[in-house]
Amino acid sequence: MTDLLVAGEPASQPAGAPNAHLLEVEDLRVEFRTLDGVAKVINGVSLHLDAGETLAVLGESGSGKSVTAQAIMGILDSPPAFITGGAIRFKGNDLLKMSREERRLVRGEGVAMIFQDALSALNPVFTVGFQIAELFRKRRGMSRADGMRRAAELLDRVRIPNAKGRVKAYPHEFSGGMRQRVMIAMALALDPEVLIADEPTTALDVTVQAQIMELLAELRRERNMGLILITHDLGVVADVADRISVMYAGRIVEEAGVYDLYRKPSHPYTLALLNSIPRLDLKGQRLNTIKGLPPNLLRIPPGCPFHPRCSMAQEICQRELPPLRELSGGRTSACHFAEELNRE
Amino acid sequence: MGRYVLRRLLQAIPVFIGTTFLIYLMVWGLPGNPFAGRCGQRPCPDAYIQRMTEKYHLNENIISQYFWYMSHLVRGDFGETFTGVSVNSLLAQAFPVTLRLAIVAIAFEALIGIVAGVVTGLRKGRFIDNLVLVSTLFLIAIPTFVTGALLQWVLGVEWGIIKPTVSSEARWSELIVPGFVLASVTMAFVTRLTRVSVVENRRADYVRTAVAKGLTESRVTGVHLLRNSLIPAVTQLGLDLGGLMAGAIVTEGIFNIRGIGGMLFMAINRQDSALVVSIVALLVLVYLVVNLIVDVLYAVLDPRIRYE
Repeated sequence: MTDLLVAGEPASQPAGAPNAHLLEVEDLRVEFRTLDGVAKVINGVSLHLDAGETLAVLGESGSGKSVTAQAIMGILDSPPAFITGGAIRFKGNDLLKMSREERRLVRGEGVAMIFQDALSALNPVFTVGFQIAELFRKRRGMSRADGMRRAAELLDRVRIPNAKGRVKAYPHEFSGGMRQRVMIAMALALDPEVLIADEPTTALDVTVQAQIMELLAELRRERNMGLILITHDLGVVADVADRISVMYAGRIVEEAGVYDLYRKPSHPYTLALLNSIPRLDLKGQRLNTIKGLPPNLLRIPPGCPFHPRCSMAQEICQRELPPLRELSGGRTSACHFAEELNRE
Repeated sequence: MGRYVLRRLLQAIPVFIGTTFLIYLMVWGLPGNPFAGRCGQRPCPDAYIQRMTEKYHLNENIISQYFWYMSHLVRGDFGETFTGVSVNSLLAQAFPVTLRLAIVAIAFEALIGIVAGVVTGLRKGRFIDNLVLVSTLFLIAIPTFVTGALLQWVLGVEWGIIKPTVSSEARWSELIVPGFVLASVTMAFVTRLTRVSVVENRRADYVRTAVAKGLTESRVTGVHLLRNSLIPAVTQLGLDLGGLMAGAIVTEGIFNIRGIGGMLFMAINRQDSALVVSIVALLVLVYLVVNLIVDVLYAVLDPRIRYE
């Protein structure tokens, strides 16, 4: 009889980690120890991601979204960055407790990453083929020739024209969009289960942006990868993301499904972000912006870090840090007045 | 690349003609007869002066003198010294010695300079970094004749590890200490240049990418970081190689090495115009070739430098 009870469980979960998400970040804390003092860059971020899912992490510059990604990859520059708390579990195993060598093997194969500026992220003095084939040679023990052949296949897969001829080209010989495709091909080489894209389209022009996003979405479907999309561009995420986490001053302030978030933001920061998107029907009017600047991370204000810029701020906001709370409909918000916002 | 090399070789022809002509002009174009004062206290016999004047075509104008000289030079004939010795045979003795000394020196500069630069660049601010910074400062600040004389005295005279002077064969093993002395200043520069570019590049995006690919630390440093950090060092080494080929008057003097530097010094002292011009012509040739090699090496190291 007990067998029947277990039958409903998903069979693909690894042993010892029942119901674990593919990637789970829990209460992550990162600080930068600088000469000016300790900047608390990440203050308890929790995220989770399943296979085949797209999570967008949204926020202004300095909100900690890239640092979160780098902490997951284990490529933070330390010093000045130090992880002071939390856990990053990949398939149930805490990456932060692994040895350097175990951690290295997760990179590229478990979790891979693409960067914002593909020109500086690719090594200028090696051919793109070499840089992709390197992964096959060093991680899969392939020969140079086999590696190059596989590199050409990958370049072809990300739709680089004449891929066979282009493997011998150097990064500076590609256009911006093509370079980002090379970056994507390189990240996919070892069939990662999670792909983190850190502002993959910021450096590109709008038409190319759409093509790259489409390619990423397509590859995610095809390989059933988990995709974390880090961006400050609300337009970019709307089409491809399943869920959105909004970050502010190193915290997640709201998390919801894309549709819910756009339709009814339940944090004033999200609302302000949405209001600041330029709209064609309001042409000629003054653009809505969020007043003030993000807080200095060396001196995060007491209470809710957003209160100095918040149009709804009350006395309690200066005193009490609102915890990230679950609201109805499986969404979360870190605002004292989330319910009021949600009701409107 | 092939076309670039060819073009550079063609460009080298006017440079070679221009420099050798200037040297010829400066050495031979001086007023007065160079043979008039060569006989000590007594005036030189007219017969001697006339014979030498004819031998070096001094009665013709300077341009046709130069053409006469060049017509021999392009056939590989460097002419004769005032004492009638073949310059070719002198160069054949001295140049291999200078070449060996230059190779020893450049090996020190490249190996020690780059290794020390990478090690300190990766450990910026640590003890080893400060130690190397201070010692390179010493090497840069102390002139070669001090390092040379000091090492000669300590290693050669006091401890007797090496022979204080180099024999006329100038074997490789004898050239190690002189080569190190000759290399010391540039070695210090190469160390510092490499260190700075390693410090700069180790935080570069492509290094982060290499780490994110899950490559080993040795591969990230030894392949991705190193290749990009070598470019300034190669510039310095290339500049220095040309200079090293021109001989090292001070180091050669201290260790009694019979190289090009000492020979040129002697030729200038004895006012042997024929020898001076021929040595300089050879040095110009060597410099042009070394420069070309270094430029080609650039393109190999950094494909963004394209020579089309």
